[in-house]
Amino acid sequence: MENNREVLLKVEHLCQYFRLGRKDLKAVDDVSFEIHKGETFGLVGESGCGKTTTGRSIIKLYNITSGNVYFKGQRIGAGTRSYKDAIKQAKKDLEEKKITKEEYDRIVAENKALIRGAKLDSKAVDKQYAESLVKSLVAEYNEKFAAAQGDEEQTKALKREFKNRVRVAKKSKLITQIQMIFQDPIASLDPRMTVRDIIAEGLVINGITDKDYINEKVYEILETVGLVREHADRYPHEFSGGQRQRIGIARAVVMQPEMIIADEPISALDVSIQAQVINLLNDLRERLGLTILFIAHDLSVVKYFSDRIGVMYFGKMVELADSDELFKNPLHPYTRSLLSAIPLPDPVYEKQRVRIVYNPIAEHDYSVDAPSFREITPGHFVRCNDAEEAKYREMIQ
Amino acid sequence: MNKEVKLSVNNLRISFRTDAGKVQAVRDISFDLYKGETLAIVGESGSGKSVTSKAIMGISAVNSIHEGGEILYDGQDLVRIPEEEMHKLRGDKIAMIFQDPLSSLNPIMRIGKQITEAMLLKNKANRKEGRETFNKMLETLSVMMKQALAANPGAKVSIAEVDQYIKTFDNFNIQATKLENSYNDARTAAEEMIAAIEDLLFMTEKNQKVDVVATLKLISRRLGEINDKYFVAGNAEVLKAHAVALAAALRAEKKKVKLSDSVKKIAGGSASKKQASPETVATLEALKETAQTMLDQPRYNFFRIGYYVYKHPETDLSRMSADEANEMAIQFLEQDFLHSFMELEKIAVQYSFAKTLENKKHAIKELRKAIAYFKAGGFNEQSAESLCKILNKNVLAAIDPLAVVKDNVAYTFGGALEREVDKYFFYIKNNPKEEERFARQTAKREALLAKGKKVDWKIIPKSVIEPEVQIESIVSVLNRVLTRFEADVAAADSFDADKRCVEIIDYLKEKASQVVYTLTPRIAKEKAIKLMEEVGIPEARMRYRQYPFEFSGGMRQRIVIAIALSANPDILICDEPTTALDVTIQAQILELINKLKREHNLSIIFITHDLGVVANMADRIAVMYAGKIVEYGTAEEVFYDPRHPYTWALLSSMPDLDTNEKLDAIPGTPPNMIYPPVGDAFAERNKYAMEIDFEMQPPMYEVSPTHYAATWLLHPNAPKVEIPKIITERIKRMKERGGNHGE
Repeated sequence: MENNREVLLKVEHLCQYFRLGRKDLKAVDDVSFEIHKGETFGLVGESGCGKTTTGRSIIKLYNITSGNVYFKGQRIGAGTRSYKDAIKQAKKDLEEKKITKEEYDRIVAENKALIRGAKLDSKAVDKQYAESLVKSLVAEYNEKFAAAQGDEEQTKALKREFKNRVRVAKKSKLITQIQMIFQDPIASLDPRMTVRDIIAEGLVINGITDKDYINEKVYEILETVGLVREHADRYPHEFSGGQRQRIGIARAVVMQPEMIIADEPISALDVSIQAQVINLLNDLRERLGLTILFIAHDLSVVKYFSDRIGVMYFGKMVELADSDELFKNPLHPYTRSLLSAIPLPDPVYEKQRVRIVYNPIAEHDYSVDAPSFREITPGHFVRCNDAEEAKYREMIQ
Repeated sequence: MNKEVKLSVNNLRISFRTDAGKVQAVRDISFDLYKGETLAIVGESGSGKSVTSKAIMGISAVNSIHEGGEILYDGQDLVRIPEEEMHKLRGDKIAMIFQDPLSSLNPIMRIGKQITEAMLLKNKANRKEGRETFNKMLETLSVMMKQALAANPGAKVSIAEVDQYIKTFDNFNIQATKLENSYNDARTAAEEMIAAIEDLLFMTEKNQKVDVVATLKLISRRLGEINDKYFVAGNAEVLKAHAVALAAALRAEKKKVKLSDSVKKIAGGSASKKQASPETVATLEALKETAQTMLDQPRYNFFRIGYYVYKHPETDLSRMSADEANEMAIQFLEQDFLHSFMELEKIAVQYSFAKTLENKKHAIKELRKAIAYFKAGGFNEQSAESLCKILNKNVLAAIDPLAVVKDNVAYTFGGALEREVDKYFFYIKNNPKEEERFARQTAKREALLAKGKKVDWKIIPKSVIEPEVQIESIVSVLNRVLTRFEADVAAADSFDADKRCVEIIDYLKEKASQVVYTLTPRIAKEKAIKLMEEVGIPEARMRYRQYPFEFSGGMRQRIVIAIALSANPDILICDEPTTALDVTIQAQILELINKLKREHNLSIIFITHDLGVVANMADRIAVMYAGKIVEYGTAEEVFYDPRHPYTWALLSSMPDLDTNEKLDAIPGTPPNMIYPPVGDAFAERNKYAMEIDFEMQPPMYEVSPTHYAATWLLHPNAPKVEIPKIITERIKRMKERGGNHGE
């Protein structure tokens, strides 16, 4: 297992809470994982366990409650709840005379700085990215201008080009390098836009105005995903389910992303079409060197498609391992129950299959020792406490 | 055939009228559904799976045209009975779980109401219907008895006594069922109480938060429901003591909660964990033990006791133990009533059977004559119709009125025959017109093409059936009844009158329980909550009052399943019920459906495209493509020995846990069914397609007596082809694994 591969996306203690009356709904609670460049990371769990929310939080469709999301080393999302909680706790401690005033002041100042930093980072990351792009452009074109000195015509052309590219660069955002494919191809495509408009929308928003360039790009991408040029002027309703999902994929891929979050891209598709879309995604991954966060609940597909798999249960990551390792040595009882529920196309086996029922209250006793996310063998993480860790270590040997 | 056919679909054809033309959704499919089995229909969307199931439910879309074929259930042809009749069957006898839960729930009605609605309505209807069928059966029985006695003057019983017997049977049967229902209610309450106690004790043991007061209230409510004297028997005093102890425990717990609330208010600290106090635990454990002993007691036989109580209403049998009471009551019942009643019944059954057997022999003769008449051809409309009427009369006379299981073929014979004969005359009139239209369109198209114009429409294929072909289908209807009757006559010697007698009494008992069983809204609510818990909805009591939009997709689907199951249907049609759910829930729901199938001996039609699910559920599988069944066999045969290329394609396009190689996706999309292909519909996407596949539709080849496939590859002259590697390897793996399991 290569540990030294470049980390593309890093999620640290990600929390996403939703306000639900007086209480908070902890959709995602303290989830951490890393995705390496070029790999497919599968995220599985039952519906409502926060898989989709995790995906959406990463791509900043939600403002995250607490935790950090790093993409290519840059912090693209940060939440402030944990710092605010720290301040609150300090205040309480002060009232109860557990800490001195100086300590309290120090904690408050520290956390306030952190909050400011987080707010700035999640707001300004795109600005910084655009600025760095512009800077590199300026450097590049300074050389070109110097080379073309004296040639009036060329300088003019270069100037025009430079102006255009700077304009695009100013608008570009780091986050566009992560794109998303949605579950339902019917709901996620605007029925009143042609396929061309749908695919080109991202380019247009990014400030590209050159019609010919856009058309060329659209045709190219349509062919990449297995459609033909003629499809560009049709509307989504004229396509079958599999073709619609291809359009969804084309829309994501046209932005030349480094990473794609595929949120159950095949769940809504027919069985014969599913294989087509899986093959297409696999193809694109190899051809474009994509990194994919693959969210699904169909475990056989996830196993087939992913390098590493994270299992989520009620907003928490309970197990994370290489896909072969996970299926060979499932440690957490929830994972075992999940694996025991996979239906296989084998009637004799199916009729004997016994499903393991997972009941968290009966399985764990966390009243004394709270669990945390620990590495049992290299690359195999499980959420457990001390007693369970020992048990798992024994199991794996 | 030893299995009872519950539902049979014969040559069903359904089309849809659309702006673009007629879409042929289902093209000539036939299958039988046996009692207590699961038939899975597999295929991709647009293959006509859902259309078939909707036709069975009688909820086809408005623009659908039923072009032919029949769906036989319980002596009725479901595609032809009027809506009022269908209304009685739908939901009650045949229920359906739909693919999309949101569209099958009413958004402005609370969940609880939607679940109980069907239960209450169906209970009311059931009581009425039960009474009617009960009376009708008794009536037939009494008529037969009288006729038998009249024909058989040597019998001990006089005709005048028959009415007395029937009346006694009616009354005591209803009495017995009432007693049994009350006993069962108490038993269920005890079981639920034990479950609640166990939950509470478990949570307390594990140091978890629980609402002790609410649970205690529930337990005491259940305790109050245990009031049937046969169930309580000698334990009445003990139960009373328990009730007092429970009330005390409840008071103590309430006080504790109040105290902790006020402490919380004053101190501002966190609330103390709600847990049952040791005293409460002790009380509950004692109660549980008592309830368990009561549950373990042997059951009373209420059919026997009912008669005793009916004759001696003042005696109280609950003082005796169950065994004693049963023994005593059966002796009394047999001496006083049952012995002579059974004898009488047997005479009636034998008489009725002999009479209908004669009629059958007569009908067979008539049918043979009719077959010769139709085969000769050249008959005119009037004489054919009058012949149909006479035949129908003969066939109906040959049906044994005391047979509990209705014979689909004989009951629907009249209608089917009339239709086929009508069609014959229709085609004679219509064929020339259709030919003319086809010729006109072809000419027009060719003229346009000759001018070099672009023609973007196709010629609608002509729907012409030669009269000779139609005569064959008339003869096949006649033959069907003929073979059935011949088989019946041949099996007449092995007729077991005693068995039939017991069947009739069982049938009457069942109907009597339907009549007596009344569902009040309160019980319906409890039942609904139990059902919701059964399908896996947590906090069912709270969620009972919520609206559909407050549930997630998986939860909604569970509610739809709960509604479908609420009326205890005979046949359950599941239209992709778990497609939208994740694996754990899917496994739960499938287990639930399987459990209900076993308990109620349900017949299930399971529609899905997930082959893993099919392997789990199905006894038999029908693979559908473009409106036709292409392969049909038991689950083992279809998975271990698939024969049709489409089945191969389906199997190889889904990954399993050991798949590493590239998946074999099926190229292209299903054909447009406005212009169905001339040959095999799958030919265009089939890499094994031969020339003949594009020209002619393959017939169904028999692989084994239960396994059929429609592909030219099974023709003796066809070249040998290799099954895709991905499948052969999987089958090999599966066999190895299967062997390991067997050890």
